[in-house]
Formats: sequence, C-alpha cells, structure tokens
Amino acid sequence: MSLAVVGISHHTAPIEVRERFVFSPRAGAEALVRLTREGVGEAVMLSTCNRTEIYIYTAGEGGGGGEGEGNAGEKAGEGRIEQTIELLARQAGYTIEEARRCLYVHGGRNAAEHLFRVVTSLDSMVLGEAQIQGQVRAAYEQAAAEPPPKVVGPVLARLFQTALSVGGRVRSETALGVGAASVPSAAIELAKKVFGSLKGRRALVLGAGEMSELALECLTAEGVRTLVVANRTEERARELAERVGGTSVRFDELPAQLPTTDIIIAATSAPHPVLTRELVERALPGGPRHPLFIVDIALPRDVEPAVDSIENVFLYDIDDLYQVVDESLERRRAEVPAAERIVAQGVDDFWRWYAGLQVVPVIQALRQRAEAVRRTEVEHALRRLAHLAPGDREAIEVLTRQLLNKVLHEPTVRLKEAAADGNAEEVLEMARFLFELGEEKGG
Amino acid sequence: MHVEAEQRVFLLATRRWNLPSRNMVTALHALALALYLASEIMLAASLVGGRRGAPRWGTALVAGAVAVHAVGLAAYALRYGELPLVGLAASLSTLAFLIGVLLLGVAVVRDAGPVGLVLLPIVALLLVVAHILGIAPAGEPPAFRGLWFALHVVLAFLGYAGLALAFAAGFLYLLQFRALKGKRFGKSFRFFPALETLDRLGARALVVGFPALSLGLALGWAWTVRFQRSLAAADPQVIWGVLTWIIFLLALGARRSGAGGDRRGALASVVGFLIVVLAYVALRLTAAEGRAFL
Repeated sequence: MSLAVVGISHHTAPIEVRERFVFSPRAGAEALVRLTREGVGEAVMLSTCNRTEIYIYTAGEGGGGGEGEGNAGEKAGEGRIEQTIELLARQAGYTIEEARRCLYVHGGRNAAEHLFRVVTSLDSMVLGEAQIQGQVRAAYEQAAAEPPPKVVGPVLARLFQTALSVGGRVRSETALGVGAASVPSAAIELAKKVFGSLKGRRALVLGAGEMSELALECLTAEGVRTLVVANRTEERARELAERVGGTSVRFDELPAQLPTTDIIIAATSAPHPVLTRELVERALPGGPRHPLFIVDIALPRDVEPAVDSIENVFLYDIDDLYQVVDESLERRRAEVPAAERIVAQGVDDFWRWYAGLQVVPVIQALRQRAEAVRRTEVEHALRRLAHLAPGDREAIEVLTRQLLNKVLHEPTVRLKEAAADGNAEEVLEMARFLFELGEEKGG
Repeated sequence: MHVEAEQRVFLLATRRWNLPSRNMVTALHALALALYLASEIMLAASLVGGRRGAPRWGTALVAGAVAVHAVGLAAYALRYGELPLVGLAASLSTLAFLIGVLLLGVAVVRDAGPVGLVLLPIVALLLVVAHILGIAPAGEPPAFRGLWFALHVVLAFLGYAGLALAFAAGFLYLLQFRALKGKRFGKSFRFFPALETLDRLGARALVVGFPALSLGLALGWAWTVRFQRSLAAADPQVIWGVLTWIIFLLALGARRSGAGGDRRGALASVVGFLIVVLAYVALRLTAAEGRAFL
C-alpha cells in the first residue's frame, strides 16, 4: 500500500515559484484523472494561495518511506510519486530536477500527519486561520464529485474525513483560532502602518470570493468609508457589494477608480495579472499624489510586481503579510501544544484503521481457509450421522461456526494490533507460514 | 526708558516672595534634563523591546520633564527679573523647552510619542550646553528686553522648534518609508507611527513653524531698525535667520512637488535642519567678537 503527498508551500518556495504550480479547477480535475488513469489508485489536489499538494494512494504498493509502509512494491510506490512530481513539474514549466528542489514528499504516516497539520492550520502561514478547513473540504468534495472513473476511494475518503473532523475538534477545543489574525486582518494592520486610521478611506476589492468577503468585513469594521467591489462576474460583485453597503464595478472600469482609491485588496482567481504597471501609470500619470496601498492575496498574483516601483505605491503579496502576521500570533502559539495533541490522536486513529487494511487480506484468507476446513469436516461428520433430525444438523452447523469464530477472534485482533504497531510485515509472514496462506494483495 | 520701567514693575512684583536661588534654577534644569533623559531611555527600551508605539509612562515622563522645565524657567525669570530669552544659556533652555512642549503635544494629541526618540536628544543636548555655560543672565545690554524683543525671540524659537519637529518627523518618515517599501517589518517599524501620521506631523510643523519664524524675523528686523537704526546683511544672526527661512520655504515647496512630494518634503526637512544646525555652528565659530547671537 502507498499513501503519499507531493506538494509545494510557502515553507519551500516564494510566491513567484508557487504561482507557477497553481492549477485552475478544471486543469486540477484533469490532472487527477490522468494520474489515476496512469496507475495511481486515488488522488486529491489541494490548491490554496499558500500551497499546491497532491495526495495519492495506491493499493498493493509500498513506498513513500513512511512508518508502517512495507518494502514490498516500494519501487512501484516511488514510481507513483515520480509520476506526481512529473505532473507538477510540467504544470510549472520546470524540469523534474528543478521542480524537485522546491517540492516536498511525505509518505505513509507522515503524509497523513501532514494533512492533519494542514487542515488544523498548524502548517499555515497564518496560524489558526479559519479558511484552510473550508479549502481542504472543498478540495476533497471536488475530487470526490468527479464522475467515474472515480479519483477518490475509501482510503483518501477516510483520510480527509478524519482530517476534517480533527480540524473541527481543534477549532472547538482549543483557542487556536481566537483573535483577528488572518490574511485580510494582516493586510489591514499593514494598511494602518501607512494610513494610521482607515476611517474615511476608500477601498477597492478585486474579486468576490471568500477572501474578498473577509477583506470587506475587515475593512468595514475599520470604518472604511467607500467600498467598491470589482469582479469578472458582475452579478456576484453586486451581490457582495450590496451586502456591505458598497458599490460594484466592472474590471474595465478600474482605471477610473484608481485616482480616488486609497486601498486595493486583490483576491481574484484570474490566471494573469489584473492590475498591471501600464494600467496604473495610465490611470495615475506620475504616480498617486497620496499613498496607494495594494495587497495582493491572490495566487497567481493579480498585481504585476512592477507596480511596486511606482512612486507612492505600496504593494504587498501574501509572503510579505507573513512577517506582519507572525508577530500577532503569540496567544495562538500558546495553543499549539494542545492542537498538536489532538492531531496526534487523529493520526493514531487514522493510522490504526489504515494499517488494519494491510492485514485484511490475510485475515480474509485465514477465515476462508478455516471455513473450508470446517465445511469439509462437518459434511464428512454429517454423512456418518445421517439419522440426525434437521434441527440437530443445524445445531452442529451453528456450533462449529461459533467455535471457529471464537478460535479466530484472538488471532484477528492480534493481527490488527500488530499492524497498528507497525509490526505488520513480520506478523503477517508468520501467519502465512503457520496457516499455509499464499501472498495476498493489500488494501 | 520704558524698558527700564517695565523691569522695575516686574522686580517690585516679585519682591513680595522670597526669590529662588541660583542653585534652585540650576537644580530644576538638572532635574528636567534627567527626566528628559529618562524618557529617552524609556523610548529606546520600548524600541529594543519591540513595543508598538510609545508607552504611557514615556509620555508621562516627558510631561513631568516639561513641567519641571517650566518651573525652572519661571524660577529663572523670578531670580533674575528677566525672561530667559537673552544670553546663550537661557536661550538654549527656552528653545529646548519649546521643543519639549511640542513633543508633549504630539505625543498626547497625535499619539506620536516615538518622535521623542529623535527630539529628546536634541532637547538634552541644548540643556547640557546651557548647563555648561551656566544658566544665568549673560549681562546683555538693556536693549535686549521688552515685549517686542520677547515676541521676536519666542516666535523665532517657535519656528526653530517647528523645524526640529519637522526634522524628527521627516527622519522617522524616511525610515518608515524605507521599511514599507523594502518590506522589512522589524522593531523600528512596529514602534514608529504610521507613515501618514508622520507626514501630517511634519507638514503641520512646517506650516506652523514657517509663519512663526517669518513673523519673528520681521519683528527682529523692526526691532533692529528701531533700536540700531540699520540692519547689516552680513550679521550672522541675519544670515542664519534668512537661511532658516529659505529652508522652510524649500521644504514646503518640496511637499507640493506632485507624487512623492511627501517623501521629498521629509527629506528636505531632515537635510534642511542639519544645514541650519551646521550653519549655526559655522557662523558662531566665525562670528567676530561681540557679534555672537542666540
């Protein structure tokens, strides 16, 4: 069996590298289908502004290098990981060697633990952020909703469901999410270092997704006077603007908006920059008279980096916000040990179940073999006891079946426990030897 | 003659109480200096400790220093029967006091206490020099007295204090600008006020300081013409006053120079203030005997 994750995040690469690995929803779905067609059993892609990760599982293969994974079929497991790396490299336009430098691979239990840390925001840029849970849920549901051939099977389904449940526990049982530390709140804090107070300012929000909504809430709370929402879909922009008492504009109206704007928060899912240097210079010849504060929390970025070189323009991307957020997380950091404990419990629970999958074929074979022996022996005995009434014959059937179950109960439990403890290979080998069982495929 | 009459009335009014001693005047100034230095240390500790903004205790210490300083200046006036505007030591103390008052104002009203990090060393330096010289009248002629003269000095000092504040705000503005553009959000970034707060502070310091200095210079010119009948263009005091006035004008002009004017204004305030200080030192060193000023 092989469970692994291959990905890139803010820990391993800057934004200009990460944005090359971003898949559109359609391209992401196609990539998963391609992977499963090429031999990967199950696959889920998680794509957020800080990370692109592909979780893969293939039955009957080792590899991944994680605890509990066996050596058998290790090369095949590594082959699936190589396939995934190749797919990501192709998307980024890198060679495999170039991609390998910024990608990370976790296998087995480490892969599960990584997802649990991601979903609980312990691996996030903003510790305790609430958005990541929704993003993981959306990634899983999107993959699960793919039409046949299915890309999500029982293993990744269980992994993601357990992870989401652990994420919920961490939010409800710890104070990891308290306070206002989020990407939009970090942007607001940075804006305050430019303007002092944001009261009476005019803000333009590009995009109408979840992040834009959160940014609008933060801006409203800070007393921003005028809120303008620009989005490719006018209807969504209008709906969001009305909710916060703002107005909506089309993207082609952006140049007219810039001269009166103090703050721009860009969070669209556009594949190319929406705000270019040429557009800003055309709208504000010679640069803005007063500071123009721009925060780009989109990936790929919405604002051309060259915009930052314009006089009086202060442009920040998601990596810049990290520095601001980092200092306001003291209280949340105190909650990390409690969150880590819940994550460890979750990983243990999942791993017990996952490791149990390895012994299922052996247990099935053992039971089938015992059942065959029982059936042969009962039939042989009943032929000699032909005088018995049907009720008595049935009693013998029940008795032997119960006897078999009772005898096999302890070995079954012990096998599952051994697998959970990471001793599966040794114990399974012994069971095969003792009961003369053949090689069974795992999972 | 009317100047002497004013002085007699002042002395008669103060004779009802026991006059403060010279030591008391010096001690009050020393205490004010200690409090200013304590405020500076507190601000520096806050900066090093990564605090956001100035602590309340820092502002309270500045308030205490200003209050003690005010009492010290009042004691000087009572002790010597003249306002501390004549002679280098007294003038420096008054200028330091005005800068202290401005700092207290911006710390309380604008929550911009961290500018004290730059202003307090200036205040302390002025007071240290005053101490070294001895805080006592310099025996200037009676002509350097009277309402016109006092107004001239106070307004001109207000102008210089304004320039000092514009310098401090401009200096911090440039540091904050650099941090924001360079995306370096360290301890100083956290401690210093917002960019626009510093910009407004610098702008208001110039807007208030410039008319004050202009009026002070005009009064000085009028006073000189009245008592000395002529105004020598080569007088170091005149050169320094006009230079400061031009620097104010340049700094205000830089602020109005389109996009980036805020930054150029801050830069002009910083460079301008340094030029004014250097020019003062140079003029004092080169001034002929008896042509000393301030």
